[in-house]
Amino acid sequence: MELNCLGLRCPIPIIKLAQAIKEDLEVILLSDDPATEPDLEAWSRMTGHSFDKVGVAKYLVRR
Amino acid sequence: MGSVTGRFQSETPLHSAAAAFLADAFDRGWPDPAKITNESRRAAILQNEAKEIFASHFGVRLDQIRFLADPEIGFHLGISGLLSPESTLYYTAVDRSEVYAIAEDLQGERLDVAIDGLTEYPEGTTTDVLAWQTANGETGIRSQSPSNFGGRIFVDATASGSLLELPEKWHCALWNSRVWQGPAGLGVFAVADSSVWRNPLPHVDSAASSSNYSLPLAMASAIALEVSHREYQERQFALTAINAKIREFLRSEIPEVDVAGTLNTTLPHLLSFSFLYVDAQMLVNELDRRGFAIDSGSACNSSNMEPSHVLAAMGLLTHGNVRLTLHPQTTEEQIDQLLIALKEIVLELRN
Repeated sequence: MELNCLGLRCPIPIIKLAQAIKEDLEVILLSDDPATEPDLEAWSRMTGHSFDKVGVAKYLVRR
Repeated sequence: MGSVTGRFQSETPLHSAAAAFLADAFDRGWPDPAKITNESRRAAILQNEAKEIFASHFGVRLDQIRFLADPEIGFHLGISGLLSPESTLYYTAVDRSEVYAIAEDLQGERLDVAIDGLTEYPEGTTTDVLAWQTANGETGIRSQSPSNFGGRIFVDATASGSLLELPEKWHCALWNSRVWQGPAGLGVFAVADSSVWRNPLPHVDSAASSSNYSLPLAMASAIALEVSHREYQERQFALTAINAKIREFLRSEIPEVDVAGTLNTTLPHLLSFSFLYVDAQMLVNELDRRGFAIDSGSACNSSNMEPSHVLAAMGLLTHGNVRLTLHPQTTEEQIDQLLIALKEIVLELRN
């Protein structure tokens, strides 16, 4: 699944991601908010997910 | 003391003891202490009395103390004043933005800080400079001793005031009067050894810090430091117990909270935590509406819309962030009310 959160401010991208990852094992997250990268780090640690940055404002998130 | 009910922000009104003294300080502290008239000599005595109070609380010598009208300029005076052309400047990822600005200008080397606050300091050469903070003003996390660093050390003591001692080895140090409920517009700057420090600003005397300052404010600040330091000592156990209570409440009552540091690694009166999936601006506004004033390191609360570089560098959650400062006047009842409000608002905002 690809989740387009471009232009959305924190914490909306992480909230949408948390919903999307319930339905898919992998989600491509598009987000250009400056808080997204550090918050993906913290969210992954807190909820047991993992992610890779795969492009500009593009992240591959796994359950 | 102005009311601090519901006030958990880092800044406070001027301490009542200093406020009561202020008019008198302006009455007596107006002459220039550097001149040789009788009135100036009396002002010089007042200046020395104030310096003595700072020196004894900070564990430095009286002649090492200088006053600054602008605490922020102290970062530049301290760091740039210790550098020589062959120096490398080291600083940590959780240093203040003033340090970041200087380091970016001088191509400094940034040191990572782990989520538990640990940093690996390099050994460095004797002319290298390390910008080192006693504790972090956002998370309250105390820094490890930089004892293995072989160069010169600029100590940023602006978060800890007189609550933490200087490291064994230091070359310049900076404090901000606001931290001990003193007047704004006063920094205290110390130079350990004038032979390794040069004023980096255009100057006539390279050993002077070339800053004008208000002697009455320095006098009032010294009074505020004496009184608030004593109040902190008296309330230290109570504040530690309140801090522990907040941590326990967050752990057991609200799911998915990211708390910075532990009771053992932080100053007891500073606490930072972030609620997953919560918009900090809505949280701050709702708390404010209910009479609680708090700080936040989240992007929506900053002027540049960037999240706190401290939280981001340590890998702590940057959204939904709350930063509490407990003051000596903070009571357990105020905290109980705040915690109930926090729980209600967070659960409501997550729905």
